[in-house]
Amino acid sequence: MTAPLLSIRDLVVNFHDDVSPRTLIDHVSVDLAEGEILGLVGESGSGKSLLCRAVMGLLPSTKLSIDEGSVELSGRDLVKASSAEMLAVRGREIGMIFQNPSSHLDPVMKIGQQIAEGIRFHQGATASEAREAAIAMLAQVGFPDPKRQFNNYPHEFSGGMRQRAMIAAALSCRPKILIADEPTTALDVTIQAQILELILDLRERLGLSVIMITHDLGIVAQTCDRIAVMRHGRLVEQGEKRQILAAPKHDYTQMLIGSHPSLPAEEMTTPAAEEMTNCHKTKPLLEIDDLHVRFDVGGSFFNGGSKVVHAVKGVSLQVMPGNTIGIVGESGSGKSTLARAILGLTPLSSGHVTFDGVDLAQQPRQAVAKLRRETAMVFQDPLNALNPRMTVGETLGEVLRFHGTPSADIPGRINELLDLVHLGREFADRRPRSMSGGQCQRVGIARALAVNPRLIIADECVAALDVTIQKQIVDLFAELKERMNLTLLFIAHDLAIVRNLCERVVVMYHGEVVEEGRSADVFARPQKAYTAALIHAVPDIDPDKKLLAPKIAAPTAA
Amino acid sequence: MHRYRFVLYRPLQLLPVLFGISIITFVLVRLIPGDPARVLLGTRATPTALARIREQYGLDEPIWLQYVYFIENLARGEMGKSILYKIDVLRLIATRIEPTLMLVLTSVVLSILIALPMSAIAARRQGRLPDHAVRVISTMGIGFPPFWLALMLIIFFSVQLDLFPVSGYGDTFVDKLWHLALPSLTIALSLSAVITRSLRAAMIQSLRSDIATAARARGMPERIVFWRHVLPNSLVPTINLLAVNIGWLIGGSVVIETVFALPGMGQLLVRAIFSRDYMVVQGVAMVFACATVLVNFLADVVTVTVDPRVKL
Amino acid sequence: MSVSTARLPLSIGFSRWLGRHLTLALGLGLLAFFIVVALAAPLIAPYDPVMQTAEVRLQPPSLSHPFGTDNFGRDILSRVIWGARIDLQIAFIGVIFPFVIGTLLGTIAGFFGGFVDAVFMRIIDVILAFPFLVLMLSIIAILGPGLTSFYIAMALVGWVSYARLVRAQILVLKNSDYAVAAVSLGFSRTRIMFRHLLPNAVAGSLVFVMSDAVLVLLNGAAISYLGLGVQPPTAEWGIMVAEGQPFITTGWWIPLFPGLSIVFLAFAFSLLGDALGDMLGVHE
Repeated sequence: MTAPLLSIRDLVVNFHDDVSPRTLIDHVSVDLAEGEILGLVGESGSGKSLLCRAVMGLLPSTKLSIDEGSVELSGRDLVKASSAEMLAVRGREIGMIFQNPSSHLDPVMKIGQQIAEGIRFHQGATASEAREAAIAMLAQVGFPDPKRQFNNYPHEFSGGMRQRAMIAAALSCRPKILIADEPTTALDVTIQAQILELILDLRERLGLSVIMITHDLGIVAQTCDRIAVMRHGRLVEQGEKRQILAAPKHDYTQMLIGSHPSLPAEEMTTPAAEEMTNCHKTKPLLEIDDLHVRFDVGGSFFNGGSKVVHAVKGVSLQVMPGNTIGIVGESGSGKSTLARAILGLTPLSSGHVTFDGVDLAQQPRQAVAKLRRETAMVFQDPLNALNPRMTVGETLGEVLRFHGTPSADIPGRINELLDLVHLGREFADRRPRSMSGGQCQRVGIARALAVNPRLIIADECVAALDVTIQKQIVDLFAELKERMNLTLLFIAHDLAIVRNLCERVVVMYHGEVVEEGRSADVFARPQKAYTAALIHAVPDIDPDKKLLAPKIAAPTAA
Repeated sequence: MHRYRFVLYRPLQLLPVLFGISIITFVLVRLIPGDPARVLLGTRATPTALARIREQYGLDEPIWLQYVYFIENLARGEMGKSILYKIDVLRLIATRIEPTLMLVLTSVVLSILIALPMSAIAARRQGRLPDHAVRVISTMGIGFPPFWLALMLIIFFSVQLDLFPVSGYGDTFVDKLWHLALPSLTIALSLSAVITRSLRAAMIQSLRSDIATAARARGMPERIVFWRHVLPNSLVPTINLLAVNIGWLIGGSVVIETVFALPGMGQLLVRAIFSRDYMVVQGVAMVFACATVLVNFLADVVTVTVDPRVKL
Repeated sequence: MSVSTARLPLSIGFSRWLGRHLTLALGLGLLAFFIVVALAAPLIAPYDPVMQTAEVRLQPPSLSHPFGTDNFGRDILSRVIWGARIDLQIAFIGVIFPFVIGTLLGTIAGFFGGFVDAVFMRIIDVILAFPFLVLMLSIIAILGPGLTSFYIAMALVGWVSYARLVRAQILVLKNSDYAVAAVSLGFSRTRIMFRHLLPNAVAGSLVFVMSDAVLVLLNGAAISYLGLGVQPPTAEWGIMVAEGQPFITTGWWIPLFPGLSIVFLAFAFSLLGDALGDMLGVHE
């Protein structure tokens, strides 16, 4: 094997407060070989992003410093390099792209200028040369009309195009190494697949070496050659991709792989007949019939008339008691609007929502009262879903009191609820800000259960959590479903989680239901091209199941 | 260019505000106790003058009709006559606009010249001595009463050093600037404190922002990061702050014109209040309000120019 | 970030606390100083603030008159001490009414939205169209000079900034997940408004209270300076500056000390505002 291109040796990064320093990166050694893609995997707080910032000499705070170790790049130690030397390294030898292209691109500068800027500075090109080079770069990363799009501002592009622009800016001076820090986390799966494909393609064409920072083992399995697993600032395990995925040595790696929600291989499913007969015996708990929701978005009389967004277009759905239904779709598919409309939180434009025989459109008063008493919601951002000024006990107590629990029983019920969601009873006195995301989400679920609901709607309730926590919350839902015979509407963009938790699945696209059926059937034999594209775009943890970036994202349903 | 289309229809949207302004100025004077005709014309008015004004403004009619007369007269450019100066109010105000406008313009320019370098120095050396100095100075500067600061500047620059005139307004352009030096410095010192605080905070935030990190990751030197990315992104909130503070600034000019005996609208307002020249009070309040509306409109135009995301 | 401070020696703990809360300590200390001076004015003022003594007219600062005397021979120090009572009162009363009225109206407008909101916003737009001091002066012109007129004008005009601030906060909070959760749990409107939204929205306006106190203090003093607020011979800092103006060539000390008092009281409010903003995580 040839000498590595980039070699990190025993790197230590400390946080210096006025007390003793805290070690955030603890003697990490990793190599990046020429032309390889190294996957740097870990959960939030593992130090994976910080490690790459250290390599770039861009530590996010002056209280952080590299105290030991070296970073060797073609015979030089970057740790010892002067800031002037680092200017020549950044952009010219190592390029970097980030998770959130929207916040990393300068909103008041033309996209082409942001690319040309580096070319002018590093290569001393004239304005027109830099412009030519930037246009060529835009074309390379897939802008269809680079000459014109050079002059557009970031907000005029979609998230996927912005990430392409950021890649173009990072690679404009032809660096040998690209550091990609969660480059697709903010994107929809189909767009994610396209960006990953672009990175793979650019590696071939430009001979790049890539460090791919990600929390998603699926992405690693699909794109990387080698994996390094980090936790709490330490390197837990590293090695060849297949070797690690197939036979992880370290407990944490095993847990990480175990937590990864995968779409199981097509198991032959039991006939659907049994379930069908069940359905006809009981009346549906929730019935949605040709539901439309339209929003008036801004637009004044002067602004060329009002603009209407048609968020939900003619959705029909039946939910049986005890069912767990997953609603999947990408951003803008209308799945969250649907949830709010069902609960009477957003006015219906037309159509019917019938909950337990009461029609929300025709008897709004009774229906809303009934919905408030018998349904509950769990939210995406667990911290934001709790009133920051109330303790967990106050939050739960308020709901219990409101729903008629006698005062004397409230403390006991609070304890019961905390037990149900596996939180210690001492959590009753904590406030949201002093708890982790997973703990907050458990409180959110406890609050929903406090109502004794017949229906729970969970809106992207694990999207903001780390995979291991995600698994715990999904397991909690599975357990509660068993124990309390809950009816659950589980809204998510993550197909694998829905596949594992829900019996039935509804696929939405642009406000319409594209496909609906038993999860096992839909995932094994999708009937619609869009569903198939969605499923194939999910990076599987099995490296042999190739990622397919959809060429067209339009569904067949008109 | 359709982003600038609001320039055409915004004046229409402002109609309700202008309507509100006219109501408030109308009501202001009608609230004064006593016979409105006597209130408007003063105690020494002749019976014929009283009868004429009763007819012109319909003072014997119901209040809503009086408002209609008020608007009618306004449309003809008439807001009544000043008791003190014996000339038409709007013409009187017209002669006083220039000093006020000059004062406001020189103050704004001067405060930007002070605030921009101060905040840049503080933000780029955050947490170090220059930053602490700028923070203390600007925090204190906000609390400087302009009328007192003016006196202190007069004591120092005019009485001790004999550099600038104590009061009045010149004839030639240079002479006017000469007389405006201390008044606009007074306002600029107060205003730049406000701007510096906001701009420094915005710059520090921008320096830590993802935008700056991304630029650094492309190998841009700190100089380019600051001037090409941090500064433009910090200006947007500051322009809004400046627009919001323009009302405060105009209000401040009332006091400063009085201190320096500058013959502007502010001084006119204060004199009118003391001599119960209510027609003039009404007129000045109205012109000031319309000027503020105009400034905010201009700030919108600037914001749209600076920030491509903004759509109005 | 949970570094335990329990095992640290007490002195280090205190100096760290002070380092972090220096602004707060300084602001509180300064404000407390002014409040004590105001309360103890009869005890600590060396002379009667309105007593005229012809023999000591226009005396520069000396041991018997540390801040000097004015053209009537009144002791400036005593007048500054008694003036603290009036100027603190201006800041407190001038802030409290606008704060209460504005917060209430802003909450209502933001929460109910629609027509109510539109009406309030138009009123706010119109009032904000007038330069603050111009509208204040016009109202005082009608009501006649005096402190009462100033407070009434403050209440009529000052509430708009609070209303706008709180309304904007409420609009954001209304769409937050915990507010939606409260709605979906069936809580009543008043409960959501006062228990869930208002306490979180008020944080921002509490910080604004401090910077507003600075503005109110300056405006109150300015109006007295113009002769439309506190009337002579009452000792108030703004009017004392005005009284010193004719003597700037002969008695620089007459306007200097009352002005400095305003500066330091305003500084105390600004520091408190900054400290509060840091603590509550609110920035203007």
